[in-house]
Amino acid sequence: MGAQGLRAVTPRWFSVWKRNAYVYAKRWKLYALPPLAEPFLLVFALGIGVGSFIDQIEGVTYLVFVSAGLIASETLLRATFECTYGSFFRMTYQNTFEGIITTPVSASDVAMAEIFWGATKASISALAVLLVLAVLGVFSGPLLVLVPLIIFAGALNFSSMALIVSSRVPDLEYFTFYFAGVVFPMLFLAGTYFPLSRLPEIVQSAMWLLPFTSVVDVARSLIIERPDSMIYWKSLYILVSTVVLMELAIRSLTNRLVR
Amino acid sequence: MIEARSLTKRYKELTAVDGLDFTVPDGSFFTFVGPNGAGKTTTIRMMCGLTPITSGSLEIAGMSLPDQVADVKSVLGVVPQESSLDRDLTVMENLLIYAGYFGIEKKLARSRAEELIEFVELTNKIDSQPEELSGGMRRRLLIARSLINNPRLLILDEPTTGLDPKVRRSIWDTLQDLTTQGMTLVMSTHYMEEASELSDIVAVMDHGKILSSGPPDELTADYDGSLEKLFLSMTGKEHD
Ligand SMILES: Nc1ncnc2c1ncn2[C@@H]1O[C@H](COP(=O)(O)OP(=O)(O)O)[C@@H](O)[C@H]1O
Ligand SMILES: [Mg+2]
Repeated sequence: MGAQGLRAVTPRWFSVWKRNAYVYAKRWKLYALPPLAEPFLLVFALGIGVGSFIDQIEGVTYLVFVSAGLIASETLLRATFECTYGSFFRMTYQNTFEGIITTPVSASDVAMAEIFWGATKASISALAVLLVLAVLGVFSGPLLVLVPLIIFAGALNFSSMALIVSSRVPDLEYFTFYFAGVVFPMLFLAGTYFPLSRLPEIVQSAMWLLPFTSVVDVARSLIIERPDSMIYWKSLYILVSTVVLMELAIRSLTNRLVR
Repeated sequence: MIEARSLTKRYKELTAVDGLDFTVPDGSFFTFVGPNGAGKTTTIRMMCGLTPITSGSLEIAGMSLPDQVADVKSVLGVVPQESSLDRDLTVMENLLIYAGYFGIEKKLARSRAEELIEFVELTNKIDSQPEELSGGMRRRLLIARSLINNPRLLILDEPTTGLDPKVRRSIWDTLQDLTTQGMTLVMSTHYMEEASELSDIVAVMDHGKILSSGPPDELTADYDGSLEKLFLSMTGKEHD
């Protein structure tokens, strides 16, 4: 087969991304409205509801503190759902990928498209959360313009991770292990809803291995306008781990489809 | 159009395709016939780049697999054994989006899609979803979709399996139309009479090997013109 992974991807991947975007646009009310309703719920329940019990946290109101967590969780959950259930449905029950890879589009192209599509959908939802928070006047600093970049990089990261799982499970039911064992612990412990420093040292160190922790942290430091000296390293870690996970996801899906 | 030499596919201990040698001349209708598990689908999947070749060589339209797989796939039309129609799209959209995978420009795609939908007689189903179509209609839509890039070679894996006799006839007519137009066709089937009726060359397969191949009337000359009898005498077993 010659090249594998990212090096095997051609510009043809975009035709598959367009297919997904077309289907999404066709049913945008069905697909887009529920995810847009969710940010309101999150902001009110966690930010305003829970926040009213908390004075200040790391020198800001709880709503400001938790906003980065809300944005990062939205990114993680949307990307994960799309590249687990969404991709798996297209791959197995719908047999869509098999139809596509007899055209000049390769399995690597399909994988790239799924990763970028998952990231696109996740970014749309996360940006909606950001927008709601900005409209509520929760924050407005100049560093905010960098947040979408972190969201998108994180979304690619989480989509790739989910696609690796999808290309390895025999059945849909196995996703519950991924959610219970990886996604939810990560979602709740990565400094998302309370400071990471409250956890035991050993757990903290383990959490820093997960790119999600850096996404939350970098997004938060941009939102509260207090970037620390480690921000470049954390950003670099997000980028490098994203490239590695994309490479693995592309190889993994190719092995599943071409056999 | 196709040259295969010692074409082999092994899955761990199982040899699904075992050293096939065959040639498909330009413009011919070539059929692999054999029982379930003979290795027909695996052979076809190797031609489409869907299954890596374990050993041997395979050349299509002068290009070799797997090195030139994307170029090969751009001149192929493929009708798979299991439907791979896009269930999120209508009949028309299935063709248009599929054209996108070949990089066919939008206007040309639309005119070709309209032509093909008419050719397979689905004009009144143009806005239906695949699940609203009968089995025969779905198969015809798969054929239309496989022709969107004007392929030089059309590959069909068991195109009439599970269809009732009348619908099978209509698929046969469609395939014969395409041969008349000069297209090269490679088909697989487990219906012996379908193979004799349609093909210029038949390759009888069992256990990953070609037992015998050639024009159907020559092959069956000593067997009262029956591929079943030929199969029985070569394998000692009845064909289903
Ligand atoms: N992905 C696979 N892994 C392991 N064995 C396989 C795989 N695909 C097919 N086989 C085996 O290869 C043999 C040939 O199968 P196939 O090519 O599908 O036959 P046919 O299409 O003639 O019915 C069968 O024994 C089948 O079980
Ligand atoms: Mg088969």
